[in-house]
Amino acid sequence: MYELVVKDIKKTFTLSKKQQKIEKTDQKRKVAVDKLSFTAHPGEIYGLLGPNGAGKTTALRCISTLIKPDEGDININGLSVKHDSLEIRKHIAFLTSELKLDDFFTPNYLFRYFSNLHGLDEATMHERKAKLFNRFGIEKFQEVKVGDLSTGMKQKLSIAIALVHDPAIIIFDEPTNGLDILTARSVINYLLEMKTEGKTIIISTHILDVVEKLCDKVGIIIDGTLQVDGTLSSIKTNSKDGTLETLFFDLMEEKVGEDHA
Amino acid sequence: MRNVMTVFKKEIYRVISDKRLVLTVFIVPGLSIFLIYSLMGTIISSQMTEAETHTAKIYAEHLPSSIETIMDDQMRYEIVEETYTRDELETMILEGNLDLVMIFDEDFTAQIEAYQGSALPSIEVLYNQSEQHSQGAFSRFQGVMATFHEQVIIERLENPEDYQVYTLSPSNIMDERAAAGAGFAMLMPMLIVIFLFAGAMSIGPDAIAGEKERGTIATLLVRPVKRSSIALGKVLSLAVLSLLSALSSFIGIILSLPRLMQMDDNLPDVSIYGVSEYLLILALLMSTVLFIVALISILSAYAKTIKEASMLIMPFYFIAIIVGVMNSFGADTSDAALVHLIPIYGPINVLSGILMFDFMLINLIITILSSLLYTAILIVVLNKMFSSEKIMFQK
Repeated sequence: MYELVVKDIKKTFTLSKKQQKIEKTDQKRKVAVDKLSFTAHPGEIYGLLGPNGAGKTTALRCISTLIKPDEGDININGLSVKHDSLEIRKHIAFLTSELKLDDFFTPNYLFRYFSNLHGLDEATMHERKAKLFNRFGIEKFQEVKVGDLSTGMKQKLSIAIALVHDPAIIIFDEPTNGLDILTARSVINYLLEMKTEGKTIIISTHILDVVEKLCDKVGIIIDGTLQVDGTLSSIKTNSKDGTLETLFFDLMEEKVGEDHA
Repeated sequence: MRNVMTVFKKEIYRVISDKRLVLTVFIVPGLSIFLIYSLMGTIISSQMTEAETHTAKIYAEHLPSSIETIMDDQMRYEIVEETYTRDELETMILEGNLDLVMIFDEDFTAQIEAYQGSALPSIEVLYNQSEQHSQGAFSRFQGVMATFHEQVIIERLENPEDYQVYTLSPSNIMDERAAAGAGFAMLMPMLIVIFLFAGAMSIGPDAIAGEKERGTIATLLVRPVKRSSIALGKVLSLAVLSLLSALSSFIGIILSLPRLMQMDDNLPDVSIYGVSEYLLILALLMSTVLFIVALISILSAYAKTIKEASMLIMPFYFIAIIVGVMNSFGADTSDAALVHLIPIYGPINVLSGILMFDFMLINLIITILSSLLYTAILIVVLNKMFSSEKIMFQK
């Protein structure tokens, strides 16, 4: 059982000329997340809710050790992302549509490849493969090259591949983005299943419905800072009409003005 | 180490299980070199044969029979029967309808025979240097006139034996093995380095920059794999694949050499080298290919796309070619130990030496060790690059 503690992390990026144009700013540096802190517990789904560009993905990338926070730290069972990244990667799975699988290989080959990288023995690998491929209906196309699979199939395979090592912590960036209704539903169901197995799950999303269906705890992030952090039911009590939607838009208005809300 | 092997095997499998890549990396290089060089050889030899068998069209006035006899002996020709004006002759020569015009003095033979230190008889010759056949006819005619000249001189001497002023007895005592080796040493080091580079260039950018471009590198980086294992696995697999690709080119060139060099279809005798030479060459090539591949990997890791990687590699490829060409057509190989510390130059230099059966062991060792050292440094840099979020995730 792994607890995840995010403590005061700050991450600043240098903007290229092109990015400055897109962001319509003259500033060379952008603070993507600032003093972000929250804790996620085993058997719980923690949702980072925020509009596009709020810093959700940056926070998740820091947790998954792909990038290092400039300040603050993230602890997973006493391990620090800054100093023990290799050890932490043994216990986490990071899922995002940005992480792609090579079109050339088959699901079977990729599963074996990533199992080997995690140091799984042959028997465990077969057991995990049977379980995951069965769960996501991958058996039928386990010898079909990734390039020939549909988007939904690819997404399911990505999840199976990410979970080869039965990680204690699952980090999922925008879990339902770009998925058809059926695949989205099966992904949501699977995350709920993982929760009951005692996994620590952190997701990011900009879809309120996903938060309502999935999350036990929510952090609303706007412009890189956490505005609200608590259980879904407790933060709803702060809303004028008791809904997450009203709370979210009120916060947006307060923070960035009505235009953006 | 286990993960180095896992990455290594995946990279090798990626290439050898893809028919398209097998074709472009292992078959096309050798085949295209074989076809291009064979075609070049065939064209050159057919041109040479054509030049040799060409019958020169000659316009001659007052051609002495003594010279005609020598011409019959030494060249293929036909005399044009018609008579033309000087202007017409010039036009015909320029247009290639006539190869040579020779106008002897009317009493050429009489003048030669009656020569008493008076004025010399003359021959006016027209030819066109820019026309291959005209130029050929003229040079053969010069040969004919040299023979005639010799005959006349001998006739004029009181004692014809005096014409002979010495006897020449040359003996060619060349070491055939060394001579054949010198031939290989001129061509092979340059080609081998080019082939190794080309082989690495055909797969390196895809294996690293391609992974960045396709977004598959992050899938790997989020796993508990040391960045150094990824770097080492990639470099080692690329080295093996590049060696195989270079081998394909090498076989292509060996098979096409007979036709290119007009060697009567005999394959060049690579058996002049023994096991020890081949082992030394292999050790040298392994260390060199590791350096080349590590360099290409770094450039590929820096680039955001395959295209950008290929562009970054180009200048280094040209430098390698220039170093190779300098070795082939330039100065002798150097025995100075320090020059063997120079990447690419050192290996080419030692390779030439091995092929000529003339090298210093210490230089070979310096070359191999320095290549391995540079490779190690480059792998450390590559490791840092794989750990750098700026380089790996920069958009």
